Amino acid sequence: MRWLDRLRMRLQMLFRRGREGRRLDAELEFHLEQQIAENRAAGMSAEEARYAALRSFGNPAAMRDEARESWSWNGLDRLGQDIRYATRQMLRAPGFAATAILTLALGIGANTAIFTLTHALLLSSLPVRDPGQLVRLAMDFHENEHSRNQPLSVPFMQYIQRRTQTMTGIFGWSTYDFVLADRGTSRGVRGAVVSGNTFESLGLHPAAGRLLEPADDQPGGGPDGWAAVISYRLWMEQYHGDASVVGRRVTVTDHGVTIVGVAPPRFEGMLVGEHPDLYLPVEFSAALNGNEATLHDPMANFLTAFARLKPGVTRAQAQAEARVVLPPMLQSLIPPEVLRTPQAHRVTLDVDSARTGWSTLRLEYTEPLLLLQGMVGLVLLICCANLSALLLARGSVRQQEFAIRGALGAGRGRLMRQLFVESLLLAMPGALLGILLAWLAGPWLAHGIHQQESQSYLNTRPDAAVLAITAGCACLCALLFGMAPAWAASRTSLEAALRSGGRRAGSSSAGARRVFVPLQVALSLTLVVAAALLGATVVRLRTENSGFRTQNVVFWYADFGRLIQQKGVDLVPVYRRLEQRMEEQPGVKAASVVSILPFYGWAHDGHFTTSGDAQHAATETLDINEVGAHYFDTVGARILAGRDLRNDDSDRNSCIVSQRAAALLFPNRPALAGTLHEVERNPENGAMVVRNCVVVGIAQDTKYDSVEEAVQPMVYFPITEQSRLVGLFLAIRAQSFDAASAAYRKALHEVAPTTPETDPATFGQLFSDSIAREQLLSALSGFFAALALLLSGIGIYGLVAWSVTQRTREIGVRMALGASRTRVFVLVVRQIAVLLAIGIAAGGAGAFFAARAVRSFLYEVQADNPLVFGGAALALVLIGLLAAMLPARRAVSIDPMEALRTE
Amino acid sequence: MGKPNDLVQGTLDLLILRTIDPEPMHGWAIAKRIQQISREVLQVQQGSLYPALHRLEQQGWIRARWAESETGRQAKFYALTAAGRRQMEQETENWNRLSAAIDLVIEGA
Repeated sequence: MRWLDRLRMRLQMLFRRGREGRRLDAELEFHLEQQIAENRAAGMSAEEARYAALRSFGNPAAMRDEARESWSWNGLDRLGQDIRYATRQMLRAPGFAATAILTLALGIGANTAIFTLTHALLLSSLPVRDPGQLVRLAMDFHENEHSRNQPLSVPFMQYIQRRTQTMTGIFGWSTYDFVLADRGTSRGVRGAVVSGNTFESLGLHPAAGRLLEPADDQPGGGPDGWAAVISYRLWMEQYHGDASVVGRRVTVTDHGVTIVGVAPPRFEGMLVGEHPDLYLPVEFSAALNGNEATLHDPMANFLTAFARLKPGVTRAQAQAEARVVLPPMLQSLIPPEVLRTPQAHRVTLDVDSARTGWSTLRLEYTEPLLLLQGMVGLVLLICCANLSALLLARGSVRQQEFAIRGALGAGRGRLMRQLFVESLLLAMPGALLGILLAWLAGPWLAHGIHQQESQSYLNTRPDAAVLAITAGCACLCALLFGMAPAWAASRTSLEAALRSGGRRAGSSSAGARRVFVPLQVALSLTLVVAAALLGATVVRLRTENSGFRTQNVVFWYADFGRLIQQKGVDLVPVYRRLEQRMEEQPGVKAASVVSILPFYGWAHDGHFTTSGDAQHAATETLDINEVGAHYFDTVGARILAGRDLRNDDSDRNSCIVSQRAAALLFPNRPALAGTLHEVERNPENGAMVVRNCVVVGIAQDTKYDSVEEAVQPMVYFPITEQSRLVGLFLAIRAQSFDAASAAYRKALHEVAPTTPETDPATFGQLFSDSIAREQLLSALSGFFAALALLLSGIGIYGLVAWSVTQRTREIGVRMALGASRTRVFVLVVRQIAVLLAIGIAAGGAGAFFAARAVRSFLYEVQADNPLVFGGAALALVLIGLLAAMLPARRAVSIDPMEALRTE
Repeated sequence: MGKPNDLVQGTLDLLILRTIDPEPMHGWAIAKRIQQISREVLQVQQGSLYPALHRLEQQGWIRARWAESETGRQAKFYALTAAGRRQMEQETENWNRLSAAIDLVIEGA
């Protein structure tokens, strides 16, 4: 077969190049000998014959090359040459190579780290069948920014499934925390309740056993009771991949459950950042709550709904159909009095792509991540500028080499290609090292993002897509910073280079190098300004008076979920006894119970009026919290007038209002002893009074759900049997964290011994978590700004040092002619000063745009604050001058005689 | 005398193919034969010959083998392959057509 022979020949050419080369030489030599023999036969002497033959032969080297040209794999051959040569060059200057690789590692590593996060949170497709066909259904109430992305209820989902043509396999998903008890060990596990058809819709195959099916999603479970699926990770960690886990009976939150299978590896659920280890049917949640009704209540929205588009259907079509289906769905499922509320008129059903799953983290962190990505991009540019300048300096020393190669026949393209290969040879190790750095920094970054639930986190191991992007980034860098030196090298004038001995050359590269400094300074200024603004924001947030005193205050979640299922248990006395016992412990100053934790992000508000005609009066909106006695002592807010709430039933109609609420509701009379009516509005029948209370105290204003929001008027109700009694928090103010912990444990064991302990959260932690986003931004941007300053400083230092070396003779002559040391110093520094000035001027514009870009993350910090700009510019000037002064001092100490003698 | 550089690349290929059609030859012999048959008009320089030979070999139209030459030294002999013979006939036909057309123009114009 011809092509087989040809292939064999081509491979031979590739792997036996040396041998082929020798054979070619032998062939040419044979030809030469024949020619000589012919010449001799024609009568020439031996010597004449040889000379004549050689003359007619031509240039053997050129002929060899030409013959080799016709061989295949020439490109590869040349590449190999370039790589070998570049490696030798690198090994000859290890210091330079190390610096370059390290610089690149920092720049590329930072980019990779941020991109890993961006990819994990925003871009990574779910590992399911055809993720592009998945959509998410959510309701939007159009009230404020928090009223979007609301979950659906089971009846809603069933209706949509029945009445839509564009979507199929609609399933619901809700995160749940379970307690998994197996053979004596019991641990908390994060999991999810999912519809029976979830896994089928996703097209997943089990790693072992089977996955959940619609038959399991029935009251009481399937024919064999409740079925559960565990995650691959749990299978490996807890059961060590033992196949006998299939069919094992375990206990999940006091219910008997059979493990029927294991989810496939790499599947981490539909919600990014959540890593459910246990999947149970939606019906199971009803069993846990003891409340079957939630599954039939159209108003019980607790499921994030997903669906699969039918083949050929676009998301826009599904959205259009959803718009049409919503009104009849509301009409048939919602009770009429709710239908008349303005909310019901405004609500819409959104269909969004779910290729990358869904995450509430996205709402908060999309913009910051994009901002950070921009910042690391700038840092990388500065890196490349540094490297380019370095390479240019080295290139100017190699002028002779390029000149000779040009003389020997190397074209411009060849020289440029050679230098690009050298750049790549620096960029690749830099990228590898950068990936390593990013991998190490990953967990720390994810820690900065994850929220209070310590079990949600992002996968920060760089995966294939990230690695590919990094490699591409490295190549792009090599191209960027290799471009200038390569072009400069190819412009070498042969005569000039050879004549001057190669040392004085490089005036053109000097010009190019001078461009980099202003560029770096401008970029650095941009970064420093952004970082300073973000840092100022964090400082401002931390020093903001929240109305609390947060030292040594700790909160615990009261996990009475199981307790209330016992008949005859009344939780209100339980809470009161707990409070009492906690306060009696040593070291405890105050203890209380609270419904809504400060800075947690939850809010509850209501409409209130003081008028006797409550149903028709205008109302004010107040934020509501339900607290036990001594709450204000515990969190450090003062009671300004009246008294605190009391922990007994006689107080059940009392309430405390905040300063601002008092001023709002009782503008002309004292608030104490006034009556407040809570009203629920109903457009049809007017308003309905749902609660009356008497004001017994006025408390200091405090922040509510976040530091950034302005102080709202608040009302505090006591905890009574009317309150929501599950999901309250216990709070203790003590002398130390340990005293508080001990008090909590002791009191809990005494009062409610069957209740499990929960993890503490200090007040300081709550506050930090609420500003986690701003803190992360500030820390990272500060780090990048510092990196940028360092790199720019190094760049300036390099330029001035090299300039001093070049001008050694000139400086020597000047000093010999009488210039003072100061003059020389000024001479050297002046050059840099001009470049700095240009850079800062250019950077000012960039910084202005940077300030606008970060405006949405600032808190009470002016984006165009002249102090910040001025300070940043000053910092840059100082760093620049410092970097320039070090080599300038060396210039000043040049001995004129030495300088003149060196040639 | 005709400079071999005037020869178009394709034409040199054709000459080589026809020369080694009767029997396998080494490079020197090919050059000598072409020179002989063309009555010293066409003198192929080594600088053109060997690249052409290697190119033809890469394309699979000729096959090379190292064997002992008439002088006793090892030399690389080139022989025509089946595909090479087809290529040679094709090129011959092209050449004939081309030269006939040129003749017509020269005589007719």
